[in-house]
Amino acid sequence: MTSRQETFFKWALYTGATAICLLIQGLVLQNMVVWGVFPFVYPILAATVSSLEGSINGTIYSLILGVVCDLTIPGSIPCFYTLIFPLVGLCGALLTRGVLSSGWLGAAVASIAAFLFTGLFHALILAMSGKAAWSGAALVCGKELAVSILLAIPIYVLFHAVYRKSHAND
Amino acid sequence: MKHFLKEHGLWILFASAVIAVALALLSFFSANSSPLANLAGVITSPFRSAGSAVVGWFSDKQNYYQDVTSLKQENAALKKQIADMESEIRQAQSDSAENTRLRELLNLREQRKDFEMESATITESSSSNWTSSLTLNRGTEHGVNPGDCVITESGYLVGVVKEAGLNWCTVLTVVDTDTSLGAQVFRTKAIGVAEGDFSLMSKDQLRLDYLPANTQLLNGDLVVTSGLGGYYPSGLVIGKVEGVQTDDSGAAKYAILSPSADLNNLTEVFIIKSFDIVD
Repeated sequence: MTSRQETFFKWALYTGATAICLLIQGLVLQNMVVWGVFPFVYPILAATVSSLEGSINGTIYSLILGVVCDLTIPGSIPCFYTLIFPLVGLCGALLTRGVLSSGWLGAAVASIAAFLFTGLFHALILAMSGKAAWSGAALVCGKELAVSILLAIPIYVLFHAVYRKSHAND
Repeated sequence: MKHFLKEHGLWILFASAVIAVALALLSFFSANSSPLANLAGVITSPFRSAGSAVVGWFSDKQNYYQDVTSLKQENAALKKQIADMESEIRQAQSDSAENTRLRELLNLREQRKDFEMESATITESSSSNWTSSLTLNRGTEHGVNPGDCVITESGYLVGVVKEAGLNWCTVLTVVDTDTSLGAQVFRTKAIGVAEGDFSLMSKDQLRLDYLPANTQLLNGDLVVTSGLGGYYPSGLVIGKVEGVQTDDSGAAKYAILSPSADLNNLTEVFIIKSFDIVD
């Protein structure tokens, strides 16, 4: 395979894996309400792919994921996830490449950071719109993180398999 | 053998005749069975009982098999009948609920002849933990536009259409932080603004702000849309007052409202596509 074909193959696999996760999110996870919130996999996806693919590829993936999120999830501002997910991806890549190893633990830590960033951004948007609710936002962020973080392991396994398959010739 | 019969045949015939006559006489003069017949009966009785038991056992087995086969068929038929009846009951319950909804809607339509409504089914509830929204199966091709109010069959306000696609629309419920509606306390006619609050959203509550300073609210006071500005119809029931609190500054009071629409158990709603503006 040429380099272009390899790149296309790799991102086709990532797209397929992401589609599976989004399907599970929409059909299953959104109906599993625990402590008033349901598991939310999008930040984990951004963090995991960024931890595997590095800052540039990870940020681009996260940007596209953010656009998909904004198109399908009603938010307080129209480009909420488009703004925050590239930052989440970049942070995840820097954390795993610079501070931690790029294993499942690194992806899990990057996912925790992703939830904290997203929650903080939600709280900031609420505050800027004159409806500050720091404690309420912290509570929802904590609950969302608690019910979602275990999903970082199967998501890492899935995306790591894609990573190994697409980097077999490296 | 031939030699034996030639020598003793006459004697045997004679003895047989004597025995036969004796047996005839015994049975003639005996009140019960003759002793020999009795003896034979006693000897053969267990064998008869055993034979009878064996025949009975086979007969029982045959009857059992026939009964089991028949019961299995009957059981299968009854199970099918129960399944059909359960299906009919479910259908009847669904029809009954729909009937109730439609009766209430008819009542609402008679009360509010100015409403042009479109019924819609909820296809998805909130897709984020940070918003309270619903996705409906009606869109611009059905005349639905952003800003349209969504109500239940009883006229309880569910929310406002935020975004409309060709055959879908997204509704922000009354408890969402982005929802803000002109409201009126039904009893006192005091005007305020009903808006979502993030801290109250998880409890399915909203707040009523900007009330006049002299407003006296009671728990259970009904709050409806004011219709001021003509952006939303008037008189749609938002909810009831659950309590009155002072805001962080301590200068103003706000009421906590509990929506009348049961936002977590909705399946079908009605979109108000147009209405008469009341000044």
